[in-house]
Amino acid sequence: MADVVQVVPADDPVRPLFSPAGELTAEARSTLGLSPDELRDLYHKMVWIRRTDEEALNLQRQGELGLWGPYQGQEAIHVGTVAALRETDWIFPSYREFGMGMCRGIDPAEMLKLFRGVSHGPWDPRTYHFAPLLIPVASQVPHGVGYAMGSRFKRSDDVVLSTFGDGATSKGDWHEAMNFAGVFQAPVIFLCQNNHWAISVPLAKQTAGSIAERAQGYGFPGIRIDGNDVLGVFAAIRTAAERARRGGGPYLIEAMTYRMGPHTTSDDPTRYRTNVELERWSAKDPIPRFRQWLESQGLLDEAALAAINREVEAKVETMRNRLRATTAPAPGEAIFGRVYQHPSDSFLEEREEFESSLESN
Amino acid sequence: MADQTFRLPDLGEGLTEAQLVAWRVQEGAHVEVNTPLADVETAKAVVVIPSPYAGTVQKLHARPGDSVAVGAALVTIAAEDSTAAAESEHDAPRTLVGYGPGAPEAGVRRRARVAPAGTAEAGADVRAAPFVRQLAKDRGIDLARITGTGPGGRITKADVEGATASPAATPAAPPTDGERRISVVGIRKAIARQMVRSVSTIPQFTEFAVFDASALQAAREKQKASGRSLTPLPYFIQAMVKAVRAFPLMNSSWDEARDEIVVKQAINVGIAVNTSQGLLVPVLRGAAELDLSRIAEGSAKLIEGARAGTLGPGEMSGGTITVTNVGASGPVETGTPIISPPECCVVAFGAIKLRPMVVDGQVVARPGAWISISVDHRIVDGALATEFLTALVGELEKVSA
Amino acid sequence: MEPVTMAKAINLSLRDALTQDDSVLIFGEDVGTLGGVFRITDGLQKTFGAERVFDTPLAESAIIGICIGLVLRGFKPVPEIQFDGFIYPAFDQIVSHVAKYRNRTGVSMPITIRVPFGGHIGAVEHHSESPEAYFAHTAGLKVVAPATPGDAYALLQSAIADPDPVIFFEPKARYYLKEEIDTAREVPIGRARVAREGSGVTVIAYGPTVSIALDAAKTAEKENISLEVIDLRTLSPLDMPTILESLRKTHRAIVVHEAPVFGGFGAEIVARIADDGFDLLEAPLERIGGMDAPYPPARYEKLYLPDVDRILEAADVALAYG
Repeated sequence: MADVVQVVPADDPVRPLFSPAGELTAEARSTLGLSPDELRDLYHKMVWIRRTDEEALNLQRQGELGLWGPYQGQEAIHVGTVAALRETDWIFPSYREFGMGMCRGIDPAEMLKLFRGVSHGPWDPRTYHFAPLLIPVASQVPHGVGYAMGSRFKRSDDVVLSTFGDGATSKGDWHEAMNFAGVFQAPVIFLCQNNHWAISVPLAKQTAGSIAERAQGYGFPGIRIDGNDVLGVFAAIRTAAERARRGGGPYLIEAMTYRMGPHTTSDDPTRYRTNVELERWSAKDPIPRFRQWLESQGLLDEAALAAINREVEAKVETMRNRLRATTAPAPGEAIFGRVYQHPSDSFLEEREEFESSLESN
Repeated sequence: MADQTFRLPDLGEGLTEAQLVAWRVQEGAHVEVNTPLADVETAKAVVVIPSPYAGTVQKLHARPGDSVAVGAALVTIAAEDSTAAAESEHDAPRTLVGYGPGAPEAGVRRRARVAPAGTAEAGADVRAAPFVRQLAKDRGIDLARITGTGPGGRITKADVEGATASPAATPAAPPTDGERRISVVGIRKAIARQMVRSVSTIPQFTEFAVFDASALQAAREKQKASGRSLTPLPYFIQAMVKAVRAFPLMNSSWDEARDEIVVKQAINVGIAVNTSQGLLVPVLRGAAELDLSRIAEGSAKLIEGARAGTLGPGEMSGGTITVTNVGASGPVETGTPIISPPECCVVAFGAIKLRPMVVDGQVVARPGAWISISVDHRIVDGALATEFLTALVGELEKVSA
Repeated sequence: MEPVTMAKAINLSLRDALTQDDSVLIFGEDVGTLGGVFRITDGLQKTFGAERVFDTPLAESAIIGICIGLVLRGFKPVPEIQFDGFIYPAFDQIVSHVAKYRNRTGVSMPITIRVPFGGHIGAVEHHSESPEAYFAHTAGLKVVAPATPGDAYALLQSAIADPDPVIFFEPKARYYLKEEIDTAREVPIGRARVAREGSGVTVIAYGPTVSIALDAAKTAEKENISLEVIDLRTLSPLDMPTILESLRKTHRAIVVHEAPVFGGFGAEIVARIADDGFDLLEAPLERIGGMDAPYPPARYEKLYLPDVDRILEAADVALAYG
């Protein structure tokens, strides 16, 4: 048939960097062009966000946070992705990308307000080019596609990173967004952080097919890679982004990883998975793995490690203190302050009535 | 160093308690921030609680196996950190989420409701739309005095607007076959409404007694000799007040809406007065605080004012019990009075005249009079009514000057 | 100017918006090449090109979802949902994100979502819905429903200019209603109008029922019954002052909408009147609307929808109340 649409685009610069099993080739690893400082910084950031994740868990147990969703195990993706993008590239996260926000420069003590019951969105997305953490699964994916479409209209070479989990790929919004991106050739990097679990539902029950291969159906390439290798993630994202900047359109990266912690602090994983699986994945923990590689390259010694740990502890303690010193906005402002840019008289009256009904303890 | 008490937080979005499984520290142990303190089991998972403070463990507030409520004290630590000390004055709640029984309140709250002073008047059984009520209120018109011409007897705007106009404005229907039609307006209308309301809402029964008025008449003679001429009414009222004191239920009201009997403190005696306009019932307030001459003065004034039509609303309302006359003279002895809602009791006195009575086995002529009381059977049963009436008779028969 | 249909008035309004503001984008199913199934966007792609006016794949949730990203990128999206019954797949994006984004982040969402709504066109299922109550109930949104061509032009201008998100319900049964319009006339969001003065009963309507209410008033006049008709124009925020001013005259009110009565928007109007205007009332408040059953097959829609007789019956009851 003459009119068959070419399903697998010829232009796929990402695939050659990886083995069929999704591991970064030695050659690709050696030609990344990252300096020793940049490489150590990747490690530093991974340690920082992991330690932050631990501290957030403690804070929740101490009643300072109402809830916490750990991202332990996914640090290579958080750090590698942000490092591979430009600052002007927007990121549209789901609800677990706290570490990515930190890497974009948002003060974690500010971000934690989300979990402290005082704010639904404590940072201005325009300042950090980092959209709010969003809870309805996959609903953020069309947002990213819209932004990218806008970038095309403006003839800009900014790209969008749209990130989500394995569960999101079951949602209608995900499919609609992927399809839009293909039709409009939107410069979106779709990053699926496949951490194998959607609360208690394992990957095998989430989908019968392959996530990475779905991209073909939408007219662009997809690849499955080892998501616990920070350099592999870095390479895939950067290369896919460069392709999109050149007008090559969207790309789907399925980064395989593991959610080492519970879904949130309200979850008990012992009810649905075994320690055996956790131990297997702990052996592939991205942080020790990268440390070992850095050490083998002579890029990290005991002194450097100790310095990193000290700095990280200091940052975490600052975060703890700043969090506990957080003041909550006054109720009138918190409830009514940002609903409309042009509120009506009746809305303002309702706010006044509410505020006059309050008194201090 | 300041003692900080760590209270159990809501660990899982809406939990109210957790069970302490095991302590990981002992009293006296030194801990750092995040040192594991205890294992607790919630409805969702077993959770390790890390220490929020660095310092020395002073007291463990639960034993393994205990159920600890969210917000209840878990452990007290003498904290080293000065910022921790500042926080204890700051009053910030430790428990952020969840509503366990011990959860402290946040810094701001809705103002507390203040119950309105005085009870709301029980609304008269008047049907009128909100606008019509407002109109009547604005014009100072008592809706209870208007008969509605709207569907179902509803009071309409026109009814209120016409209430200030003269009664003759309503054209009378032409008489037929020797009938005579009398237009019913104003007080007659209001009385009619009251009567219907009374008999249709209050199950009332009547008891009768005769009392020997010898003592009362003797007392009156004595007063007369001192230059004060008193009718029997003040004596009736005083005796009734005394009897009511002994039987306060007679001075009460049935609250249908709340299923309650409202026993009134003050005894405000309504005095039924026949006037040219019709039956009026001015009220002698606080009769229990008045002596006989005050009662006499007060009631006389009220009766005069009622007949002259000069009494204000304050003197025409607020009654808690009513007294009335039946047959001031002539052959009529007694009657069955109708209760004035929302009261419980109405007392009717017949005329004092010489009657045959049996004293010490002999028939003698003594001054006496009938008393009839009608009583709300929802509040008072026959036995109590009898006791009250007996007491009233007793008071009247032992009247002294 | 020649009289124009409401469809044409909306077309003109979109055209003027695209001209005046480079950031305005129009998109949806069939709005580009075809010009829309009701021809509302006719000719716009030709004039402004496929990067200002474009067709999307068949995906309502994404059509609304991309608006968020486009706003962040500096655009003013004016998407179209092809029919009222197809807004439901987009409900999550509208209610969970469009309505809440500013509250969450401080970033306003100047999005105008156009939806033809209402029945009375003999259509098949899902093409005659009145879902306005779901959106009026959602804080963060504004909900507008014009009844005339002139108001459709002006209110769409106001909606597009409004930094807050607006759901713009177009009464499709009135698309071919014609009148002379004045494109210079401004109609602010949140202001009702008295469509016809009267003194006996206030009839409150919006969208397609305004015409029916006016017809009822004309008939009533012959019987010496005077109906005052209020065209709400905006549902949220609701113009209570105009309603109360009317009640000070009439003391009686009826609400008319096509949507089912139970839990319908009329309930909010009536509740607010009972709250703010209690002492003005001489009769109970009545709502007339669709039955509390799914919109029926076309053959029955005239029985289901409010008509002049039902309005007059309610007026009779209100006037006879006493």
